[in-house]
Formats: sequence, C-alpha cells, structure tokens
Amino acid sequence: MYTSRRQFLTRAGQGFGFVALSGMMQENLLAATKAKRIIYLFMHGGVSHVDTFDPKPALAKFNGQPLPGSFGEGLVTSRIDFRKARMLASPWNFTRNGQSGIEISDLYPHVQKHADKLAVIRSCHGDAFDHAPAINLRTSGNQFPGRPSLGAWAVYGLGSENKNLPSFVVMSDGAMKSGAGAYGAGFLPAAYQGTAFRSGKNPVLHLASPDGITPEAQKETLSLIDRMNRRHFATREEDTTLEARISSYELAYRMQSEAPDAVDLTKESAATKALYGIDEPMTDDFGRKCLLARRLVERGVRFVQLYQGTNLGDDWDDAHLDLLGSHNKMAKKSDQPIAGLLTDLASRGLLDSTLVVWSTEFGRTPLAEGKNGRDHHPYGFTTWMAGAGIAGGRVLGSTDEFGLRAVEQRKDVHDIHATLLRLLGMDHLKLTYRYQSRDMRLTDVHGENEFTSWLLNA
Amino acid sequence: MRFVVLLTFAVSLPAADLKGSAVALLSQKCQSCHGPQVQLSGLRLDTREAILRGGKQGAALTPGKPQDSLLFRVISGGDKVAMPPTGPLGPAEVSLLREWITAGAVWPTEAVAAKKWWSFEKVKPVKPPVLADAWVRTPVDAFILQQLRARGLSAAPEADRRTLIRRAMLDLHGLPPTAAEIEAFEKDSAPDAYEKLVDRLLASTRYGEKWGKNWLDLVRYGDTSGFEQDPYLLYAWRYRDYVIDSFNADKPYDRFVKEQLAGDEIYEEPIAQQGTGYYTVGPNRDMLFKVEDINRVETMTDFVDTTSSVFLGLTVGCARCHDHKYDPISQKDYFRLQAIFAPIVKSRVFLTYNLARQYDLQENTRQWKLYDLADEFQRMKAPYVKRLRAEKLAQLPQAVQIAFATEEDQRTPQQKADFEMFTKKVAPRDDEVFSLLTPDEKAKLDRLKTRLLSLYSNYAPGPFSPSVTDSGPLGPPVYIPGKESDEVPPGFLSALGGGDIPPPPPGSATTLRRKALAEWIASPEHPLTARVAVNRVWQAHFGRGIVATTSDFGARSTPATHPELLEWLANEFVAKGWSFKQLHRTMMLSSVYRQQTKPSPAALTKDPENQWLSHFTRRRLEAEEVRDAVLLAAGTLNPKMHGKPVVPALAAEELYGMSQPLGNAWVVTSDPTEHTRRSIYMISRRNFRMPMLEVFDRPEGVLSCARRESSTTPTQSLSLLNSDFTRHQALALAAASLKGDESAISEAVFLATLARRPDANELTMARDFLTKQSQLLGSVEKAAAELARGLFNTNEFLYVD
Repeated sequence: MYTSRRQFLTRAGQGFGFVALSGMMQENLLAATKAKRIIYLFMHGGVSHVDTFDPKPALAKFNGQPLPGSFGEGLVTSRIDFRKARMLASPWNFTRNGQSGIEISDLYPHVQKHADKLAVIRSCHGDAFDHAPAINLRTSGNQFPGRPSLGAWAVYGLGSENKNLPSFVVMSDGAMKSGAGAYGAGFLPAAYQGTAFRSGKNPVLHLASPDGITPEAQKETLSLIDRMNRRHFATREEDTTLEARISSYELAYRMQSEAPDAVDLTKESAATKALYGIDEPMTDDFGRKCLLARRLVERGVRFVQLYQGTNLGDDWDDAHLDLLGSHNKMAKKSDQPIAGLLTDLASRGLLDSTLVVWSTEFGRTPLAEGKNGRDHHPYGFTTWMAGAGIAGGRVLGSTDEFGLRAVEQRKDVHDIHATLLRLLGMDHLKLTYRYQSRDMRLTDVHGENEFTSWLLNA
Repeated sequence: MRFVVLLTFAVSLPAADLKGSAVALLSQKCQSCHGPQVQLSGLRLDTREAILRGGKQGAALTPGKPQDSLLFRVISGGDKVAMPPTGPLGPAEVSLLREWITAGAVWPTEAVAAKKWWSFEKVKPVKPPVLADAWVRTPVDAFILQQLRARGLSAAPEADRRTLIRRAMLDLHGLPPTAAEIEAFEKDSAPDAYEKLVDRLLASTRYGEKWGKNWLDLVRYGDTSGFEQDPYLLYAWRYRDYVIDSFNADKPYDRFVKEQLAGDEIYEEPIAQQGTGYYTVGPNRDMLFKVEDINRVETMTDFVDTTSSVFLGLTVGCARCHDHKYDPISQKDYFRLQAIFAPIVKSRVFLTYNLARQYDLQENTRQWKLYDLADEFQRMKAPYVKRLRAEKLAQLPQAVQIAFATEEDQRTPQQKADFEMFTKKVAPRDDEVFSLLTPDEKAKLDRLKTRLLSLYSNYAPGPFSPSVTDSGPLGPPVYIPGKESDEVPPGFLSALGGGDIPPPPPGSATTLRRKALAEWIASPEHPLTARVAVNRVWQAHFGRGIVATTSDFGARSTPATHPELLEWLANEFVAKGWSFKQLHRTMMLSSVYRQQTKPSPAALTKDPENQWLSHFTRRRLEAEEVRDAVLLAAGTLNPKMHGKPVVPALAAEELYGMSQPLGNAWVVTSDPTEHTRRSIYMISRRNFRMPMLEVFDRPEGVLSCARRESSTTPTQSLSLLNSDFTRHQALALAAASLKGDESAISEAVFLATLARRPDANELTMARDFLTKQSQLLGSVEKAAAELARGLFNTNEFLYVD
C-alpha cells in the first residue's frame, strides 16, 4: 500500500527513470502512436545544409560573388560579414534518389539509398550562432543551460521499459561544446538525466567493482549492506524511501550483469557488423555507437542520443577552415553507420516503432569563411527523420535560393520538440513539471507549428 | 489529500486566497482545453475578461450568481454537459468555485491590486495560542499543537540524545557527530544540555559552511561562467567566503540583503561591498563573440528573476513577455525592476586599498618584462625551429611537401587539406628545440627560466573581490520591447505599493537605484522579506516550508499550513534583529523539533506527508553532506576554511564529457591534503559537476534553487559503492582501525562510520564478514576497508532520523 503520492513516486523511482508522474496525473497524455523510442543522431559542430540535404544551384552560379542587394542584412555570426563575404559553391554533387527523387549530396552515398524513408525538414531555424547556446537550444529549447533536455522530458513522460538499464542513454565522442548539460535533467529529478555510456566492458560510470575487489567480495559487501539496511528498516517500515534505497543496491548489482551484456558486440554476426562498417578504420567508431543504439532500443531504452564530433578532436566544426576536408571526413565516418542502422532496424521490424532523427546545432554559411570554409549558420538548416510510421521520401519547407533563411514552413526548435513529443504520444502542452511555480514545458510557450500530421500523412 | 488542503484553505484563510485558489484550479483543470493554446468551443478561461466574454455558448459566468453561470453548472452536474471530461471535481473544489463566483469572481490580479493577497499585506501581529500542555516548550509548539489537535493528531515523543545531536549537527554544520561528541552529550546531565548544544553548534564556524551552501544554492553560485569555453570566474570564491563569514558572524539579514543588492552604494567598508559579488557569480556568456546584446538581455533577466525569487519569494519571470497571469505583476512592473539593474557594470572591490594597487602595479611590470622575455626565447629558438620543421617535413610524402611549398592561394583543395592536417605535426616542440641548444645557449636558457620563475614564484590571487557598480548617475533608458517610445522609469512592484525611484542628487557617482531597492526590501515593513526568509529556514529544519513553495508567495503558492506561525516567526525574526542564529534557536529548542521520526498510525492515514508535523521528517543527507561525512569518518577531513576552489583528483572516466582540455579545465590542486576539504570548497564548474555530487542532486548552479530534489537512484548507489573516492576513504579508515583482533577492528569501524558500537548480533556479523573478506582479498586491512565501504553505504549512514 502506498500511503501517499510522494511515497508512491519514491517507490516508483527505484529503477532508472521514474514512472511518469505527469503521465500518471494527467489522463490522455499518452496517445496511441507508433513511436515508442527515439534514436537521435546529433552531428556536433554544425553540418552544412547546402552541402548535404539542401541543394542550392545559385551558389554555383554566383560562386565568388557577394550576396546581391540587401540579402545579408540582419544576419550575424562571429567570423564573417554577410555584406562582404562571397558565395561558395558546394564542392559536392547532388543526386536525386529513390522513387521520391529527394536530392542528397554525394557526401552520403549510403544514406542516399534510404531517401524514400526520410522526411527532410529544410526549413529549420534558430537564433543562436555559438555552439554551446545552439546545442542548449536544440536540446532543451533554451540557449541558457539549466533546462531539462528533450531526452529527459521524453523519459519523464514515457517512463521506463527496462528498469535494469537507464531509459535515456547518451554516447558521445567526449568533449561536448555545451558540456554534459546538453543531456542533463535540468530542474527535473536526477533520475531523468541522460546516462553517458562509454566504450568498453563497463559502459556506466562506477559500474565496475573497485580495483582488486573480486565478484565474491563485492557480493559479500553488498550482502552486508543489505543486512544492515534491513535491520535499520525493521523499526522504520513505514518509510518507503528507505526501502527504495535497499532496492537500488539490488538493482545496481543486477546492472553489473545486464549493462555489459547490452554492450557486448561479440554476439553480433559478422554480416551485421559489416553493415555498420565496424572494423573499418573510418566507420568503426560511429558504427559501434549505432549498433549499440539498436541493441539498447531492443532492450527497452527509450531515448538514445548519439553525438558525432567533439570539441577536442575531429568535428563538423572543422569546416571553419576546411569545409572539404572536415565534411568528407565526418560524413565518411557516419554515412555507412547511419545507413546500416536504418537497414538493420527495418530488417528487424524495429523501425516501425523507432524514430530516427538526424540533426545538428546549426547549418553553415552559404558564404565562404576564408577561402574554403563556412561559418556557423542558424538561420536556415536541415533536420531529417525516419521510422515510426513517418511517410518518407518527402521534403518539408525550404530556404531561400541561397540557403540563407528558412522561408517556407519555418520550423523552430519548439515546433520540432512539439512534434517529437507528439510522435511519442505526448501532448507538449500537457507534459509539464512545476518549477518556480510555473508549469514548465519543453516548448515553453511555443510549439504552435508542430507538423506531426504532415509527417504521418503521405 | 487534495480534498483536505482545499477544504482547509477555503475555510480558514482570508477571502483573497479564495481567488488565487479558484484561479489555480481553473488553470489545473480547465486551461489545457480552454486556455491560451487551445480554445475548445471558442472559450478560454485564463482571464476574467475572457470568461465573461465566453465562447460559442455565450458568457461562461455571471459574477455573484453561480447557478446562472454556465461554468458552474457544467462542473457541478447542473447541465447536460459535464466538465471537466477527465472526471468530476471534488466537493471541496466545487464549493470553492461556488464561493468564488458568489464573491464576484474576482481575479487575483484585481484582488492583489486592491492589496488583499495575504502575503502582500503587512505581517500581522499574532499572539501564540495559550494551551495548557506540558509538551509546549515554546510558542512554536503552541501553534503546531493547536493544528495537531484540530486534526485529531498528537505529537510524537521526544527523540533520544543520540538522535538529537545527529539531527542538530547535520542541520547546523552539515556534518554528523563523532562517537565522542555523542557520548559527551548523552552524559551531560545539565537540565539545559540541549540548549547548550545548540548554542555551541551555532558558535562554530562549521555553521557558516552549511548555511552558506544553502544560500549559494539560492543565488545560483558557480566558479565558472558556463558555455563552450566555461571560463573561470577567477574571484567568485571571495563571494562564497563572504557568504560563509556572514552566516558565521550572524550578520543581520537586513544588512546581508543590503550588502548584496547595493553594498557599493550604501557602505564604505570593502567587506560589505563584497556582497555585490551576488550579481557576478551567475552564468554568463561574456566571452563569446558578438553576443553582447543577447548576453545583456539574459543578464538583466537573471538579475530581475533571481532577485525577485531569492529576496521577495516572487516569480516575476512571466511578466517579461506579458502581464503576469496569476500575480498582479504587469509587464511594465517587470521593466521598472529591470531599470534598477540596467546601469550595472562589473567592478572589483579592493579588499585592502594599498595592497590592491601594489598588486596591479606588479602585474603591470610583470607583463612588460614577459613581453621581452618571450622575445628572447623566440630569438634563441628561431634557427632550431626552422631546422626541425624542415627535417620533419622531409619525412612526409612528396605531395605534402609540395603542398607546404605552394603559396596558400595556389593550393588545390587536397593540398589545403594536407596543409591543414600536417601543420601541427611539423611544428617542433619546445623540448625538441631545447635539446639542440649549445652549452652557452643552455646556460642562457637556464637564466631565462630562472627569471621567468622568479616572476611567478610568489604569484597568487590579488586582494580583490568581484563586485558591481553603476556606469554613472544616469542609467541607460529602459523600454518594454516593442514600445520603444515609452521609457520605463525605475520603480517597485505596484502590487506592493509601487513608487518610482527618484533620480540621484547632483554629484552622485551612481543612480542609487539599487540602494533604493535594497532599503525597500530590507525594511521591517516589507510584507515579504521576513516571511520568505523565516520560511526558508523552516524548510531546512522541517523538510517543508510553512509555505511549501519557498520561492513563490504569489497566487500560485501552496497555501500556508500554519499561517499564524509564519506571521509570528516573521515578527520575532525582525524583533530579534534579523538574526538567523536566534531564529534557529527559536525553531530548534521547540518540542516540535525534538520529536522522534516514528509516525503514529493516525498520522500515517491522516497526514502521510507530515505537513502538520506530528513527528519529525526523516531526510537523506545532501550531496555535500554525504561526501563530507565519509571524509570525517575516514579521518581525512581537512577542516581548512576559505580560499580558492579546490580541484580534487578524479578518475579519467569520471571526467568524461568535459568541454575543454583537462589540462585547462581540471587543473588538479597540487597539494593533495586540499583534496579532502569540505565539499563547499570544491570547484563548481557550470559545465561539469563532480559525478558523486551530481548524482546526489547537487543543483546545476544556473537557476536559483530553493529546494533540492532528494532522489533515490541506482547511480547514487553505484557511485557511493564503487567510486575511487569511497574506496580510498575506506582504505584510509581501515589503516587507522587495524588495532587488535577482529572484534576490535569491527568496533573501530562502526564507531568511525556510525558513531556507535555494534550490538552483539552486528559484532558477530562484522567479525564473520572480516574473516570471509580476509580470505577472499588476502589481508585483514582490505577486509576492514570492505567493512568501511559497506557501512558508508547503509541507510543508517545516509539518513537523519
């Protein structure tokens, strides 16, 4: 018997990710939708839209010339002057793909084959042109840190499918320009925080027993804790918080076996590994992350966030000085793994219930920075989605002829967040958490241009 | 639960509360379909005008006449339509709305504009109830007992001495008592032993470290500014120390408020001016490019929101974009407040004038010398750099060499990529260069090194503290966005009496706007200041505020459980000179505070959340308390106070995700004895929290945090169980406990961790454990460390009864 809501929630909070408290409190929050989970592929550093999913022939036509008239007015980034910088043609060819004929550049030869699965949103826009604020904005809806991330909101609303694993898992290349706050829980309870999975046998921090402590010794110590706790509890049985903590040690112990199993790729066939480009030097790293993502969603993880790129190594942001080199390298590293993930999910019947999102914090300037670079560009860029019943092979919105500004069907981050929550069966207006006496929402007071129905209705 | 609450405040609170509660109810139950986003049937219920205007069915409400009001009919079963669709309202909710409509359906905005919202009115003089009951030690007890009796509840018996001292020490010091301290207290037969204990704890400097931490949560303190580079706020810790010292000195709260909001405008003493560090220790993006305008907007927003929230207990943020929906705060009011902060510029306090000037002069000379020193290094290096670079380049493929030889604007894309990729690889490192120097040059290099070192060997932070002042006596004009023709003058919230702040007298160096704000807030007449402060202290001692929403006393606040007690405490606080230490005494010497945690069966059914305080509410140790308690038990706690933040050594896997190179972002403090100081002295980076503190709910330091979460997660267990930190401290404790046989060791480890001896059963269990672990791990010391690691992870260690 739960004696109060607080105690119920405490008890429910034994696992990773509480049972949705808002979801419990508000009937009709969860609608029947196909998406049960999300794999969010975040290209860290900023991918050029005009070189990937948003072809702009005008850039080739006017290559080397400044923008006509007042086209550049009002656009700002830190490194270029839009009135003076010159247009830079894309060094890559765009080809039409699949039945739909969606144009994708040759940077993504493998993803091109999945064109008919993709819903490409070419009219994303934001107002932050530095990485950290832009990453914060894309993930939490606010340029300032401190707000819960999309993944945290999602698992807060959805709850957990496997309490032996975290509901919200993050795999990055390490140093995020925004810091770890990008997958933080903000003002939500810490249980909703993204848990960083690392490579190797012990994916979760502090999962392994201390050095020199054998499994038997660890078990012995856990047993001591349990016996001490049960003696303590015997005179305090009304307090379910204490009971929840006793269970949390049992859970920690179970995780020591379950989590390593989840990340053990030796059980995958050679064909599957090859699909993701594992063991190939360029694609091995991101291929492993994508394959892990599939293994995790299979085990009920609700939200897997993958980042490609890092502040301290190879990054999409190397395009400042070297568009060609950076984008060739970063696309090469992720193209086959992403395509492999789509293929693998589809062949296992998981794509119907898994939403795959590809995005980045901003696009890059259609104008050159230096001679062969592009600066940050939040005023128009591309995101695509696939799976979970989305009608693919379609394009939503557009940027102007130079790729500068989103013009048709403009979608800001709140519209995208509202849509993603809706696809997961949640109303972004109703998924709230009371903080500082406001019923806070992921979409704050926005999200009015969500486009779920467009995505689902071909 | 909800039924009880609604009934209570509908009956016992002033009429103004009715409006707030009714509107809050509409907001909770109706506005998702009839609100700003969605207006089913064309109806919205979020303003009085909208309700009176109604929707497709006509007016939703007739003030004064519930039965003629469509809104009331549909929620009370008096219409063919029944609302809300999720199920009928409870009887208390229905009667609340009936009363509200009967009373004219007044919106809180109007209610408070007419100065009727309870927390906007002056604190009332209240006399404690007179109850003949031996349990009543202090007036606090009388207020509590009166409510307990009204609900058929009774108070729990007094806790034993061991429990009391642990509770009091963790509440006041954030550290548990040692076994010796418990024993001394248990043996003290003086009738006022407990009073003496509380006084002794309040007199210790450990007090400021615990209560300073509570304040730093509120003012969103951090040692770095956040965002990509996450640069250091080099002197933020001076403000942290100022806060600790202020609590230890029992600085009157009105003075503490004034120093922080306007120390520069009110006081001469540098120590007092340090308070304005309050404005400088939040997040900001000063160091990003071309975002000065956005940063300024964010900074102003932070100042208005944080100040209102911390000092007034009001959430004004909504009014930045539109008039506040629930509280009588207009958008104009919001910008009147912003105009107070608009002239702020960052500054430094010279803690000692002459030393500070001297420091600046030394820095100035040092820089000049360094320019020349570096020139000399570079001239010496130049020929070797050239040679080494050529050698390294010669090792690379021919194509790359050609790329390097080609003029930059002649390079092909591939050559550009090659150049980019290999530039770093062909750059010679200093150590390579130095190894090639001639003996004469080496001697010269040594002289240069010595000169360089001597420039820095006494380097230390200067006698400065971060602060603010105004840019001058005239503030920049402030406008409501979109209404740029209409300058908004600085002033106070209309609902709290309003009033413009006049321009400063001729010759003033600043606008004196913050001085006016500080004096307004710190006035004994201000209805919110004392109420909000005492309520925060109450929350810290009893687990829940009298008003549970401690940073919101507006219309959406949780109704006060003991409104009269709140009034009495606020009056006492002011009457006793705004003294926090007196306030702690007032609360802690009560019988309420001394109760056991065991709830009665009646309490479990009637008041499971214990808001009427029929027993004491158990709590988990906070993040810092967990870490500090482990250090204390291990005997490694370094009690040193103050100073620049300590960066403790962490395992590589714990540092995962840092946004900057570890060599810059995690510069481990060179003196290892510093690593075991109290958690409040550990660095708080905005982009990276120490994993153990993070999992135990330490806030991010971005938004003001009025109440920490107290979650229970497996990551907490993993951290406390398996981290290097726990292991090292367990080994330290084991090393200190290895005297005598297994019984003696068991006793020593129990005494250090749980501050008690094991009972007979536990002793057997511990001895068997040591025997078994010694076999498994190969030594008694390792086994003893396991015993320590186990006991650190027990609920007895982690909770306060």
